[in-house]
Amino acid sequence: MIILDNISKSFNATHAVRSISLTVNTGEIFGIVGPNGAGKTTTIRMMTGLLMPDEGRIMIGEYDIVNESIKAKSILGYVPDKAFLYEKLTAREFLIFISAIYSIPKSEAVSRTDEMLELFGIKDVEDDLIESFSQGMRQRLLFASALIHNPEVFFIDEPFMGLDPFGVRMLKGVIKDLSSKGVTIFLATHSLHIAEELCHRVGFMNKGSIISIKTKDEISGIEGGLEGLFLKMTAFV
Amino acid sequence: MLLLIIKTKILSLKNSVNAKLMLRRLPFIAIGIVFLFLFYIGTYKALSYIRGIEFFGEILSRKLFSMTFFSLLVFLILSNIITAISSFYLSKDIPFLLSKPVEIRDILRLKTFEAFMNSSWMVFLFMPPVFIAYGISYGAAADYYLLILGCFLLFSLITAGIGITIAHILTRLFPAKRTRNVLLGTGVFFLLLIYFLIKGLIPQDINTPERFINSIMSFKTESPMLPSYWITEAVFPILKKSGFSIFYPIILLSNASFFLLLSEITGLRFYRVNTERIQPSGEMARRGILGGYYPEVNTAMFYKDIKTFFRDTGQWSQGFIIGALIMIYVYNFKTIPVKALLGFPFIKEIMVLVNLVLSGLVLSAVSARFIYASVSLEGQAFWIIRTSPIDINRFIRSKFLYGFIPVTLLMLILVFLTNLAMNIRGILMYLSLGTVLMLCVSVSGLGTGFGAIYPKFKYENIASVSMSIGGMAFMLIAFSVVIATLSLEAWIFYVHNLKGAMDMSGKIQIAVSLIMIILINAIAFYLPMRIGRKKLQEQTGII
Repeated sequence: MIILDNISKSFNATHAVRSISLTVNTGEIFGIVGPNGAGKTTTIRMMTGLLMPDEGRIMIGEYDIVNESIKAKSILGYVPDKAFLYEKLTAREFLIFISAIYSIPKSEAVSRTDEMLELFGIKDVEDDLIESFSQGMRQRLLFASALIHNPEVFFIDEPFMGLDPFGVRMLKGVIKDLSSKGVTIFLATHSLHIAEELCHRVGFMNKGSIISIKTKDEISGIEGGLEGLFLKMTAFV
Repeated sequence: MLLLIIKTKILSLKNSVNAKLMLRRLPFIAIGIVFLFLFYIGTYKALSYIRGIEFFGEILSRKLFSMTFFSLLVFLILSNIITAISSFYLSKDIPFLLSKPVEIRDILRLKTFEAFMNSSWMVFLFMPPVFIAYGISYGAAADYYLLILGCFLLFSLITAGIGITIAHILTRLFPAKRTRNVLLGTGVFFLLLIYFLIKGLIPQDINTPERFINSIMSFKTESPMLPSYWITEAVFPILKKSGFSIFYPIILLSNASFFLLLSEITGLRFYRVNTERIQPSGEMARRGILGGYYPEVNTAMFYKDIKTFFRDTGQWSQGFIIGALIMIYVYNFKTIPVKALLGFPFIKEIMVLVNLVLSGLVLSAVSARFIYASVSLEGQAFWIIRTSPIDINRFIRSKFLYGFIPVTLLMLILVFLTNLAMNIRGILMYLSLGTVLMLCVSVSGLGTGFGAIYPKFKYENIASVSMSIGGMAFMLIAFSVVIATLSLEAWIFYVHNLKGAMDMSGKIQIAVSLIMIILINAIAFYLPMRIGRKKLQEQTGII
């Protein structure tokens, strides 16, 4: 479960996020869409502890991300929009390193690493240095590393960037599967058709505020679907 | 088009500098200015002393001038080769520029400008005190300053032209990433060779000033084929007010044009082929080091850093330079005529002190390269640490150990060996090892803390981190801690052994000095790490 209680964030004089309140339920897939610069990434960065909100409170599960950050971070997984990794490690070494910082016991870490490499289709390049990976392979590795510790809450910023159609299909399956197992998922994306297909609810963000939230059923009843709604909400039509 | 690209670069630079940043950097700028002033005073005093030597003073002054430019010639060519490889082939904007309708000639010119600026800025910063010292010592007029600035610019452009040409050819022969390391190794080898060659030329028994001067004069730096000779010949007559000849400035100008043109022609011939050869390809890593080891949460960072260090050739190739410095250092102490000096009072204690000051200098330089840069080494992957359940305290502790362990081992071995070379044993050996251990703790803490306060996560080459303003400031502060500690220790020794200090005043002085040593080192260790931890928690610049 994720609770945002009246959070705001400014950079110098610019309001990036204004008074957002939101609850995402356990096992729910919540999508956030909006034009560039709407504040989606800033919101996710606050929820993952990369940025501190100026105002308000963020609960990840039962932990406050500011006051109990270590506990909150140990139950969340995060895939950012820009994939900077440790270039001189191999994929396997990177996953082992991530397992260690999440205090996963050795035997479990090894089996989880094998499982993740297999699941995301990068087993055959496990001993290659990350610096030689394509963007799609990096994205797969990022997902593997974000899920290796079985997070309860999962944040994804632009999940399908650089993935081939097989990768996209595989990833959609993984996200649905996680949701069915009770993992709370918060994703920001510009791929409206994917958001429409995956998300139980979609929030529309513009100029730092969530201007509307629609359920899957509400969206399917609207002419033009999510795309039509997006254009209308963000005042491009 | 070239002007347009350069304008973009200048705009980027302008946008990255703001009043707030300048205000934060103000203390460092002040430290730098003080250092430059002290450097000027030192050069002026040394020059005045040299010029005062009977018969040989003026000849030696001129020799020193030409030797300085000879050293700069070697240094700048090497520096230009290394930075040219980075700027032309490893820079992040290369794919962008190559994909745009920009002439290769314009890209080459832009990169020439970049390589020249990056390799020469430090020399341009540190040479003015030397020029001013010469000018004031000789009572030179304004024309001297104008001439030396112009000639030095041409001199630097010659080294840039030569360096860039060699860089293109080397990259044609080896892949760019390896070229830098091959070159670094070769460069260090040649520097060592030159050093031992000079050392061989100078007789071991330099007992009389005449023999010392003879040995200096026998060192040939004044071949008329060298730019260092041209600049000496162009500037010295004006300095000595014995007329001015346009011949050597013209030689410098024509050679600068020639070598820049040569670098462009070489670039036009090789650049496209070279850039295609450096595209990344799959590279398997050997599991060798720490192969099957599974780290705990406490050692995970350490495990990752060690693996990365041994795979990043850019990192350990710096070890060549440090290794060479240490060889020269130990060799120098080995050649000190200890037995001949034994008649002087307290000579052993003085030699131990000099050794500690020099090892403190090595400690500051090595720490800047390996400890100060350790936090920045995370690069833009620092988000992984920030979103993981790793406490920043634990992160900083790990970074401290990553630098402290190898640096301390290195310094203890260094001081132990040099003490042995000087036949120093017993209490003096233990005291100097104890002092070095204490300094390693405090300087490592200072370096880790400073690195956390001023991290540079966006870098193209990790070596550039230690050359930043923060890195330079750290080096100066670290060396000040060393000097303060050793001065207090020397004072304790003075009070204890020379002042007959067993009265109350002496005891108080010793106690106060001891407390100050502990305080200085404790503050150097603790305070920057504490501030660094806070700054890292607030850090948003990388994400």
